[in-house]
Amino acid sequence: MTDLIPLTVFGAETPRQTAPGALALAERPDIAIASLALRRGTAGAAPFGLLLPGPGGLAAAQAHLAFWTGAGQWMVLAEGLADTDFAAALRDAAPGCSVTEQTDGWTVVDVTAPEPLIARLLERLVNLPPEALAPGRATRCQMHHLPVHALRLSSSRLRLLAMRSATASLWHALETAGQRLALP
Amino acid sequence: MTRIPGGLIDRSQTLTFSFNGRSYTGHPGDTLASALLANGVRLMGRSFKYHRPRGPVSAGSEEPNALVTLRSGARAEPNTRATVAELYEGLTARSQNHVGPLGFDALAVNDLLSPFFAAGFYYKTFMWPRAFWEKLYEPMIRRAAGLGALSGEADPDAYDRGYLHCDLLVIGAGAAGLSAALTAARAGAQVVLADEDFRLGGRLLAESDPLDEAPAPDWVAAVDAELRALPNVRILSRTTVFGAYDHGIFGAVERVADHLPEPGALVRQTLWRITAKRSVLAAGATERHIPFAANDRPGILLAGALRAYANRWAALPVARPQDRIAVFTNNDDGHRTALDLLAKGANLLGVIDPRVDAPRFGDYQLFAGAQVTGTHGRLGLSSIEITRDGRADWLECHALGVSGGWNPNLHLASHHRGRPVWNEELLAFVPGEGGPRGLIPAGACAGRGSTSAALKDGARAAQAALSELGISAALPRLPGAEDKPLRQSAFWHVSGKARAWVDFQNDVTVKDIALAHKENMRPVEHLKRWTTLGMATDQGKTANVTALAVMAELTGKSVAETGTTIFRPPYTGVSLSVLGGGDTGKDFRPTRLTPTHHWAEAQGAAFTEVGPWLRAQYFPRPGETHWRESVDREATAVRSAVGLCDVTTLGKIDVQGSNAGEFLDRVYSNMMGTLKVGRVRYGLMLREDGHLYDDGTCARMAEDHYVVTTTTGNAGLVYRNMEFARQCLWPELDVQILSTTDAWAQIAVAGPRSRELLSRIVDGFDLSNAAFPFMACASLTVCGGLRARIFRISFSGELAYEIAVPARYGAALMQRLMEQGADLGVTPYGTEALGVLRIEKGHAAGAELNGQTTAAMLGLGRMVSDKKDSIGAVMSRREGLAGDRRRLVGLLPEDPNVPVVPGSHLFTPGAPQDMAHDQGWITSACVSPHVGRSIGLGVLEDGDCRIGELILAVNPLEGTKAALRVVPPHFVDPEGARLRD
Repeated sequence: MTDLIPLTVFGAETPRQTAPGALALAERPDIAIASLALRRGTAGAAPFGLLLPGPGGLAAAQAHLAFWTGAGQWMVLAEGLADTDFAAALRDAAPGCSVTEQTDGWTVVDVTAPEPLIARLLERLVNLPPEALAPGRATRCQMHHLPVHALRLSSSRLRLLAMRSATASLWHALETAGQRLALP
Repeated sequence: MTRIPGGLIDRSQTLTFSFNGRSYTGHPGDTLASALLANGVRLMGRSFKYHRPRGPVSAGSEEPNALVTLRSGARAEPNTRATVAELYEGLTARSQNHVGPLGFDALAVNDLLSPFFAAGFYYKTFMWPRAFWEKLYEPMIRRAAGLGALSGEADPDAYDRGYLHCDLLVIGAGAAGLSAALTAARAGAQVVLADEDFRLGGRLLAESDPLDEAPAPDWVAAVDAELRALPNVRILSRTTVFGAYDHGIFGAVERVADHLPEPGALVRQTLWRITAKRSVLAAGATERHIPFAANDRPGILLAGALRAYANRWAALPVARPQDRIAVFTNNDDGHRTALDLLAKGANLLGVIDPRVDAPRFGDYQLFAGAQVTGTHGRLGLSSIEITRDGRADWLECHALGVSGGWNPNLHLASHHRGRPVWNEELLAFVPGEGGPRGLIPAGACAGRGSTSAALKDGARAAQAALSELGISAALPRLPGAEDKPLRQSAFWHVSGKARAWVDFQNDVTVKDIALAHKENMRPVEHLKRWTTLGMATDQGKTANVTALAVMAELTGKSVAETGTTIFRPPYTGVSLSVLGGGDTGKDFRPTRLTPTHHWAEAQGAAFTEVGPWLRAQYFPRPGETHWRESVDREATAVRSAVGLCDVTTLGKIDVQGSNAGEFLDRVYSNMMGTLKVGRVRYGLMLREDGHLYDDGTCARMAEDHYVVTTTTGNAGLVYRNMEFARQCLWPELDVQILSTTDAWAQIAVAGPRSRELLSRIVDGFDLSNAAFPFMACASLTVCGGLRARIFRISFSGELAYEIAVPARYGAALMQRLMEQGADLGVTPYGTEALGVLRIEKGHAAGAELNGQTTAAMLGLGRMVSDKKDSIGAVMSRREGLAGDRRRLVGLLPEDPNVPVVPGSHLFTPGAPQDMAHDQGWITSACVSPHVGRSIGLGVLEDGDCRIGELILAVNPLEGTKAALRVVPPHFVDPEGARLRD
């Protein structure tokens, strides 16, 4: 076990949590991420019991989550496994597939708020019809000029995967939007 | 005060405001114009060219005259229409375009010189001397003619953007818009209803006609309440839909805080991008006036506006309530104004109607077959001349409502070049074919302007739009409403020799149009540009059609034959700030930070922007007073000991699959498929046209797994091109790619002691030259089990490595390397030293890969393999490009004190210094601590054959010339022994 101390994207040892307005923002560095792509001739995969979803889809199985990112491609998330070699575990669970470690490629930000507020927040940040991010849907989109994977975990929970290097910019945009939405 | 009873203002509250430094009062619900009129103030500005006194003509966004500068300081906004500026406590406004007090404008002398300022004045005058154009004439004209001026200060307010998606967008919340929204909302469709006013209702708020025998505002309030209660309806008041764009997209600006003294924490305005499956344009109509002699005095308004001020704002445009008011109209609608004024107790002089058979609708004096042929009043109307049967009478009159008919507000319907069509019955242009797809004009903007017709038409339009979406909508029960026919005559202007204004804002008169006709500027586009008609903030909303009718009369053609100009966005002015959506200053674009950013900050690093990234530029130490001292020290440390540089920003692309090698062979110009596992190769990528566009390394981590690196600036582009190639060019290949730029923190460890330093952190990994030679790569663990990747590659020319760990460990690894290397002289270095080191080594970077160079020019021609095909390879061998004989060389000044200036062009001494004799240019330069003077890289004609020659570097921009010796591009270790050590 390495003695190097990992830091969050904000340079801290503990994840950032703020509550601008009625939003709750939480950085989730505990979540491991790896991409999964079918190779030619591979019939399919069902790692960790996940039923890999189609376009716009989101699938969950216990602590794992998968969402579609392209033809024959998914991103797989695992809570609490960020300090492990999750890509290797996924490779074992999906033989014949290409797997790429993505844990630190993205910062996971969980946004929690009452449903109407989530709707208003998305209206400010995402140029997509609301149904594209209805509960149970996931999509890649642009927020604040940044590519973001947006996962609607439930009516009141939104999970965003932001480029790690640009997380501070997206966080600032989320905080600003949250504060403005709280105004009368 | 001329405030009269009634109106939709809240008299329980009083608001104080100031105009030109004088304090007045008004009420919530007032506009600045209505409040000023209620205070007896009619003079609100000066005209553009002649500096004529002007007051409001309209009661809406079409206003050409009453333009003021609202607020003060950095928030001062010029050219704000007083007619739509919502009154708030503490509002301050100033009039524009005058020298001295508004009432005694020194530039009013222009009016006396009007014979010289006719149409085309600017084109005919100020022709010589040419030297005066910009220094004298332009400043003089700008001072004499113009609108308001910007404060010159930075905008202090915040702006925002948002996105809405709906089944039906309803533009305008008058009779047609409300019935359309109601129809769609009750059907369950997702509806967005937008209106520029701060209150829904449109003309229903300005008219006295009842709906179902109750005041129209009551019905508006009921519909408003019902719509607001529905979850599928979004109401955007104070919102102007300013443009129709492709694919059902509309631009709209919501004025969130313009009605407040200051926005506070609110944004000032929001830019909405609305994507609508269908839309109903219910923008209403704008009344037109009738030009007659001296028709521009304050107190002369459109008849509909006069009615609106009386009914909605309880204000009359006269100084005293007993002052006489008249109406001049060519249609029945103008008579409604007379009736409403009578009902309000105004002192009505009568109605002047040029129609001989003009009807009378009430107990007022009718001047049938008469015309208004003149006016008096220095700063406001005091009398009018009425001519009937050749007899002229001057009558005292302080306000005049003028109606020449109504023009449908079809602007958005022609934003996609939809041509308006002339309707001879309506005497107006109506929306034609070719407008935005899915947009249905309804109500007055479609030429169906009676209240009853507008209500029905809005509902019909919504029903039709929704049926195309498969949504069934029932027509709502609509209230009974007036349905009077609009009888009018084609009476366009009063003939005469005096000036009669057509376009108030640009001071264009009937005589100007006649002059344009005389000078053969007859096509409508020529007429517009020759006279400036229809330009500036109002875009001729009250003038265009009248001008066309006058031109038609002059040419003897019909208005339909004369044609019309069409419209483009924006419908009304939009501030640049809101178009930016709040992305200004620091928030202009996102910033990317490296994993060691916070560590570098703590070291006091200076940062530089590299694309979206912030990178450490250099790390100053105490006592260093110039950046060169820091950079020299850092570069020297790398050459003599070991340096550390965060190179995470270089693009990293994971390439996997059974055909990954073949894929890379096609993407890179050189061979990659033959690369052995555990080895790295430098690679070039070409554009389709054969020029270089990126370089980097390719590491083979496993049989079916490569890691590609790109330059920082081209990381996104290379990834996009590779994804395109994978998906579209060669879908048959089994290749999967993914960007891993952010996933791994990568640190360059460079210098003769780099191996020694790294050996202290790797977990039992053999770094010896034999086990891990130059251009080797491997996966390993460091610092007690942390997974990592190591590449033995060198940008500096020294023994060097790049080590990558998961990004969250980047800062800790940097710290660990600094601690472990303290006795080795470890030094962090930034992008400046990185640049010095690579120039000394003669390595190409962005300045050499600028899109104009080829592999051969950089001395890398053999890297374009002719044993295989790859993107750009064939084109790189085309005649012309292959014959380019410029080659990369090193450049050394003869005088050690002379700098090498990048961007300079190279010339043979004694040859003319012009394009024809250009021999190349300097791509990069630095002061080299290794060489001890300024050095440079450049591409030079036949450069590889001219080593030792003297060449002249000329930079006309910097005003420098320098004699440079042509040398090989490698200033350090040309044999490459150090990096292989």
